[in-house]
Amino acid sequence: MKNRTVMLPLLAVAGLFGIIASCAQMQTVPGLPASHPEALAVGQQVNCSECHEDQQKGTMKAFNAFSHTRSFVKNHRFYAASDDRLCSTCHKSSFCNDCHTNQVEMKPSTKYGDRPDREMPHRGNFMTMHKIEGKLDPASCYRCHGRANNERCVACHK
Amino acid sequence: MKKTCCTLLCAASLAATPLGVLAADVTVDSSTLFSYGKRDVSGGSRQTLAPATQFLGLTADKLADGNLSLHLYGWGRADLADNSFNNNSSDGSLTYGYLQYRFNQAGASIRAGRHFIHEGIVNDQIDGVSVRTDLPMGFGLSAFGGATVHTTDLSGQNNDGKGDFLYGGRINYRYKGLLDIGFSAVSEGSAPTSTVANRTNVDYTRIGGDIWITPFATVDIIGQSSYNTETSKMANHSYLINYKPIQKLVLTGEYNHYSDSSYRFPWASTSTALLNPNDKSSTAGLITSYEISKNLEASLDYKHYTREFGSADRFGGDLRIKYKDNSIRGGFGYHYLDAGQGFAITPYTSGSYQELRCYVMQDTKSYFGAVDVLGQFFKDDIYNESSAWEAIASLGYHITPALALSGDISYGRNPQFTEEVKGLLRLTYNMTYNGTGGKK
Repeated sequence: MKNRTVMLPLLAVAGLFGIIASCAQMQTVPGLPASHPEALAVGQQVNCSECHEDQQKGTMKAFNAFSHTRSFVKNHRFYAASDDRLCSTCHKSSFCNDCHTNQVEMKPSTKYGDRPDREMPHRGNFMTMHKIEGKLDPASCYRCHGRANNERCVACHK
Repeated sequence: MKKTCCTLLCAASLAATPLGVLAADVTVDSSTLFSYGKRDVSGGSRQTLAPATQFLGLTADKLADGNLSLHLYGWGRADLADNSFNNNSSDGSLTYGYLQYRFNQAGASIRAGRHFIHEGIVNDQIDGVSVRTDLPMGFGLSAFGGATVHTTDLSGQNNDGKGDFLYGGRINYRYKGLLDIGFSAVSEGSAPTSTVANRTNVDYTRIGGDIWITPFATVDIIGQSSYNTETSKMANHSYLINYKPIQKLVLTGEYNHYSDSSYRFPWASTSTALLNPNDKSSTAGLITSYEISKNLEASLDYKHYTREFGSADRFGGDLRIKYKDNSIRGGFGYHYLDAGQGFAITPYTSGSYQELRCYVMQDTKSYFGAVDVLGQFFKDDIYNESSAWEAIASLGYHITPALALSGDISYGRNPQFTEEVKGLLRLTYNMTYNGTGGKK
């Protein structure tokens, strides 16, 4: 007990020194810009390597890993989970929340019926198809409808 | 709740004017949609639907010392004919509303209000505070805490699948451009569970790790695994490997494995009907994406699904075309799902179907239009229908670069509603249309 009483202040002081030392070096840590310095065309499948050959300052990841290929769009959750700050240099939150939201009012593909080029879930008659698709990969349903957007699910699944 | 949402949405729109004076950069996104449709419902009746929906977003950047910003987005709906859903003739929701202070160094930021959290294994929404910063020597740190954002009061349910509060964080380490490894944890208080007897609420924690490793310039491996401390089992593994032998070719392999009782631990009461606690699910897939030219991209994909009761396979391909500086865009896709009785709609014996999709759109400075056709063709008829299909035609006009008026007409036949006819009128105002970065 006595040792603990001695150790705690020492650890606190050490932690404080660590924080102060870190803060002193924070000025040298590079960060991403708030937004992409150049406007990009709507609907463009962005190929970062057209302009960038190196790594990003903030994330230190290669730019070409973020080129919006078909594969990237389908698997964008992996990239967003690692560092969504890069996403937000070009996309507002509302771009993501067209699909990812706590309470969706209408199917994104209905809201954006004029943008068939955007990747949107549940196009067409998903009322029928979800009875098959839900059995194939239930975790993919859960990611959006398990803890949110389940108002319409409980209409039948009681 | 509705009153709160309506008040906030109104406040957001009214706030645009004074904020415009105070802030250097205020943008407003607005979409007003009037839709009209007839819908057959079981029992032979026919509904007329005419909901009016307003989506409204506001972003005020460069407030105070230039590093503070305000972000608001939400929607409200009023039904002008039959109720479009449940017994409510109106509804609304604040999707997000938060203040953010972004520091000049180290990518550090603080957010306060309703916002989403994406940190390693955490993908959730809170009414609370989150902070994040990069640290010297490649380390990074983030933390968050707050009340969960409840969807709504679900009809006939005593919860919406969420507990009362969430807190957690992530610590990560980056080594040059080769490695980014993170450890994250999230705890939820009073979470409704699907595995605990009598459905009592419990506090639980999920911990996990995530990795992004680039062992060679042409290879990336990204993924995460998580562990549920309450069930003492792994909840999920999700991994992706990208191989780019040449700049325009990407080969992607993906593997996901989920233990339902641990991954879907907190869930709404609906899980009683849907969830077998012992179930596991896995998917493994491959995608090949090749940029044939600057205006043409082709992809082939295959995915294998495994459940306790069987397995299924899906394969197909997509072609995407751009023309005239991206103003004309088109796409064609074909996929076949080979799924047996375990995945079929009861009482049918096959869940297999072919899917075809084709779209083309043009967006000029004055007008824009699109046609989109999607069809699913079943191996075995479902409710005496051999297919489900929908066609949407859309036509619009840019009144100004930011303001556009457009209309959609759609017609479809499917086993569920037999016939669906819908029309939609859309007025959009997007101040960020020509801005730097902004909404794309």
